[in-house]
Amino acid sequence: MKTIRIASVISFILLTAVAWAHAADERDPVTIVQDTNSHIFQTLENRREEFAADPEQLRAVVREDLLPLIDLRYSARLILGKAGRGVSPEQLEAFSEAMSSVLINRYADGLLQFRSDEQVEVLPMKGKNNEKLTRVRTRIRLENGGFAPVDYAFRMTEEGWKAFDVTVEGISYVITFRNQIAPRVETEGIDKVTADITAGNVRIDD
Amino acid sequence: MRGRLWRSAAAVLVLSMLLGGCSSRQVTLTDPERDPWEAYNRKIHAFNTGFDNAIFRPVAKGYDAIMPDAPQRGVRNFFRNLAFPVTLLNSLLQGNMERAFTSTGRFMMNSTIGLLGFFDVATKVGIPRYNEDFGQTLAVWGWKESRYLVMPFLGPYTARDLLGRSFYGYFHPISYAMREHDLYWPLVTDLITLRAELLPLQPDIDAANDPYVLIRDVYLQNRQFEIYNGDPPAPDYEALLEEY
Repeated sequence: MKTIRIASVISFILLTAVAWAHAADERDPVTIVQDTNSHIFQTLENRREEFAADPEQLRAVVREDLLPLIDLRYSARLILGKAGRGVSPEQLEAFSEAMSSVLINRYADGLLQFRSDEQVEVLPMKGKNNEKLTRVRTRIRLENGGFAPVDYAFRMTEEGWKAFDVTVEGISYVITFRNQIAPRVETEGIDKVTADITAGNVRIDD
Repeated sequence: MRGRLWRSAAAVLVLSMLLGGCSSRQVTLTDPERDPWEAYNRKIHAFNTGFDNAIFRPVAKGYDAIMPDAPQRGVRNFFRNLAFPVTLLNSLLQGNMERAFTSTGRFMMNSTIGLLGFFDVATKVGIPRYNEDFGQTLAVWGWKESRYLVMPFLGPYTARDLLGRSFYGYFHPISYAMREHDLYWPLVTDLITLRAELLPLQPDIDAANDPYVLIRDVYLQNRQFEIYNGDPPAPDYEALLEEY
């Protein structure tokens, strides 16, 4: 009797896990942004005091939510361009890891200023979006009543839609960072640049 | 306007002679398509940075330190509200009636209830602020790509936007005050308050690997964004990858 119950619990967990993974694969980019936003803001709302006392915890939550949704390697390759020639997969991994940490931490630190997800509006898809590449447009309401436009670029991968670029008021993270970092990688080598990013010596502009 | 253009042209000439003597490292163009004048632009950028370090930024910092946040915002609101004639005219020239109407409503509301524009009540009630100028109109009319051009004192431009800026003088109240009444303090105040507003970006500029390229990238991308009213075509990501 007991084993049956355990077995049913396990199969239930497995089933939901599979169903969830499957659902995650098929979500369209707008849904991904909406779901992620509401989850992050819900968590923020529930644990605000905890996070204010220890921002590191919020960073961890945000990282867990965002990392599976970002195509880090693709972003890194776009940023490196031809400076990425001869870079080993491990070096690329370390580089994209360093970059994403800085970005995610900055995003998490900025989050504490927000009150609820009502301040972020996700616009419906529009314009010509091909099946491999698309853009999700969002508007962040500011305190004074105005808004900041923040767009996310998504691409279709084997694991579903993944984000690879953020654009704030038309300024692309990939393009801007690429022009700062690629020349440094060419002169100083990728290991030095990765170490500098991790050490906080390189600022990533938003 | 002709007088001002002349003076700018003379200033450019003098500066290029002054700077021509400076030793400069051989510049390989970082963006040959959009910035073929990089060698010249970098010299003017260096001059502007020097001026900013010595005079412009310290003054803006002083203003920022003395002036509490609320009145500081008020002054910015006031100057933004003054740009209305330029935005209205260019919305009409671009055939964008929605922007023309919205901007007119916003201007009337802020100029009255907002006490001459010091309070941005329109934004508070959800009326968007649009920014249209002659450079954008020229782009909408077909001059899509234009070369990057750094101007002494004025900073980043493109050839197209500089031309647009010279029309701007006729329709902007600040330039009008200067032209017709020899009043210079509105311009000076506008510039100082604008510089103060940009102070928070300074750490990013200072920490950049190449501040010249950072300012150029931010300016050109944001300009593109304004021209396409917030919905510019996506960058050609695949092309970035091909170099890999």
